[in-house]
Amino acid sequence: MGPETILSHLHRADGSATYTYNGYSIIGSVNGPIEVPRRDEHAEEATIEVNVRPAVGVGSPKERHLETLLHNTLRSITLIRSIPRTLVQITLQIRSLPEGEAAVGVNSSLTLLPHLLNTAVLALLSTSVPLATIATSVLVAVSPKAPTPLLSPTATELLRVKPIRSIHVFAFSGERKLLLNESDGAFSVNEWDEACEMAEEVCCKEGGVGLGEGMDVDGQQINMEGWLRDVVRRKVELEQRWRTAD
Amino acid sequence: MPLDTSTYSLALLRLDGRRWNELRRLHAQISVQAAASGSSYLEMGNTKILCTVSGPSEARRGAGGGGAGSSEGNLEVDVSFAGFSGVERRKRRQDKRTTDLSHTLTSSLTPLLHLHLYPHSTITLTLSILSQDGSLLAACINSATLALIDAGVPMTDYLTAVTCASSPSTSDEEAGDPLLDVNSAEEQELPFLTLGTVGREGRVGVCVMESRVRGEGVEGMVAVGIEGCARVREIVDGVVRGYGKRFA
Amino acid sequence: MPRETEISVNERAFIQQALQENLRLDGRAFDAFRPLELTFGDEYGVADVQLGKTRVIARISVDVAVPPPERKFDGIFQIIAEFSPMASPAFEVGRPSDAEMVLSRILEKAIRRSNALDTESLCIIAGLKCFALRADVHIIDHDGGLVDASCIAVMAALQHFRRPDVVVEGEKATILSVREREPIPLSILHQPLCVSFSYFEDGEIFLIDANLSEEQVRNAEIIVTMNKHGEVCQIAKYGGATVDPLALLNCTNVALQKVKEMSKIIQGKLEADAKKRDAGGLMAELSAENER
Repeated sequence: MGPETILSHLHRADGSATYTYNGYSIIGSVNGPIEVPRRDEHAEEATIEVNVRPAVGVGSPKERHLETLLHNTLRSITLIRSIPRTLVQITLQIRSLPEGEAAVGVNSSLTLLPHLLNTAVLALLSTSVPLATIATSVLVAVSPKAPTPLLSPTATELLRVKPIRSIHVFAFSGERKLLLNESDGAFSVNEWDEACEMAEEVCCKEGGVGLGEGMDVDGQQINMEGWLRDVVRRKVELEQRWRTAD
Repeated sequence: MPLDTSTYSLALLRLDGRRWNELRRLHAQISVQAAASGSSYLEMGNTKILCTVSGPSEARRGAGGGGAGSSEGNLEVDVSFAGFSGVERRKRRQDKRTTDLSHTLTSSLTPLLHLHLYPHSTITLTLSILSQDGSLLAACINSATLALIDAGVPMTDYLTAVTCASSPSTSDEEAGDPLLDVNSAEEQELPFLTLGTVGREGRVGVCVMESRVRGEGVEGMVAVGIEGCARVREIVDGVVRGYGKRFA
Repeated sequence: MPRETEISVNERAFIQQALQENLRLDGRAFDAFRPLELTFGDEYGVADVQLGKTRVIARISVDVAVPPPERKFDGIFQIIAEFSPMASPAFEVGRPSDAEMVLSRILEKAIRRSNALDTESLCIIAGLKCFALRADVHIIDHDGGLVDASCIAVMAALQHFRRPDVVVEGEKATILSVREREPIPLSILHQPLCVSFSYFEDGEIFLIDANLSEEQVRNAEIIVTMNKHGEVCQIAKYGGATVDPLALLNCTNVALQKVKEMSKIIQGKLEADAKKRDAGGLMAELSAENER
């Protein structure tokens, strides 16, 4: 099953999305293009600002690190040159984390990253900020206890196969290009290759099959590209409903 | 340390010997500092405040709110505590209480001043609290009013303030007696509110209460507070007139 | 940073004219709250409040800390309310605005200073260990009435929250996980709720729960915090235009009635949520608490 999404549900922000998956729930909002402070202004491109706000407490270096990663990834998929001298302000509020997330014993900023990225892309789509392509992201965990690497595992699945040797986050663009990779732990090049292939398979499956088809393998398989296309299709349908209405 | 205020119900005299509706000695002076545009020194009992006004002067660029390019002037308030003002020496300069005080002063005085006469300018109020013994906000408001008058900033009327506490009730049915102008010992022990009124009609400009009290008690406190504000207004008015006579 | 969009002259005149004709733009009565929606998360201590278009999420979390040396028998309780650009692009991260300061001060006075939560019950070992409770208030959508909505959210979340049980043996304290023992609710002494009154026409017209455009038009506001027992916990009228003292007193009477209504709604929602969690009636059997 793909992540649950609600698009454009906030009234004040220009675009917004709530993303719920595997116990992670994130609210994303985008304001933009808006006026940019003089010190951040670029003459030829838009400035992108990412704010990650944790569920508990105020931002720490962990959030700053995530913000940097997201900033660079989102910058590369946004058509920043077509809206120069403006600011696109992305706020990602973490609403809830899965139970037992802290007990897994892996780098929690990596487990969170794909969800944040997917939320940000949804919020950007909701705002209709010009994008060059879409991006989808997925988490892969490698454990000696599991025969094959785990694709976007839940917190309980990770607990079951503890200790986890390495985790990898991959993000792919709509053109099957690798946008972002963050890996943590000990792994060989072959393991990384395998994980990368699996992630690519999930993120950009050819043909854009529906959600139902992706599910039948072992109830695990998701198709991120198909899911995102479906979300966009529903958004467009909703926006164009005045045309189709009798 | 809990303080025994139960004696009030026996003799109807407060810890410092005052009756319920008695103000402490209120002494005020204006034009105490020649260098400032306007200044005042005010004592409400042992609470002592020195207030100076500077400006209207050119607004700082990029100041929050009004400032440069706005059609109205803006008021900035800077509150500072002297290290020796309280019983314990204070270490931190800025805390929530200070910002709260200056925010209350800014928002209560702004509507009284004719700031539209001073576009693109800032009026800065600097309050130095030399000694604190309760009724801090009230004393700040009174001294700020005096200093603004001394500076000759056009304003609609006096804003004067007092505090009013509610003494512990003897029975469950009735709320206790209201007590006017609390000192710090009473402030710690009793629920109190700070009330500031504008003009002769006694319309309420500021009302801040931070402690829990029975709903019925508020009425008595407000009534006594308004009465007290009128008395403070007379004293403040007397100070201003007395000063004016020297030039007559 | 872009400035908050100011309301246009026409809109301002329209709202004022309508108020003089006893009308509000959204058709509410002058003393009516917007419809309140309150939902709880899967976890304990998360309350999602929607008051019209305003939306606030409060989340309670707990940690173990060393109590401050001057208050050995108390736990720690903090309320953190920070604005984010999500609610309005005019909010800048790391630079608190006046509205933000007012919100956090009012919550502090209304809930913490009025002792709504019994902090002494958070003490584990006097002077050595205590629970540090924090309430994070996230403002998701801003359409006026932030103080009222945040106060409802924090109070509802506090009542919904369950802290882990703890066993003390001499100097050693063991925190028992949720699986080992049923977590216990906090001891709430009373439930303060805020009602903000916005006034217009020099204190002639009072509105409860103004939305953003009404907030931009108003003279000033009075925030009254009360609990359903009729105690006033806090009054804040930080300047602004003057009002008649009788109108001020009337506010406390109206506030009491509104607070009673609100408490009833919150209580109802809490009970419904408890029933949902306690599907098989298992909790009553497992609970070691006695009826007092």
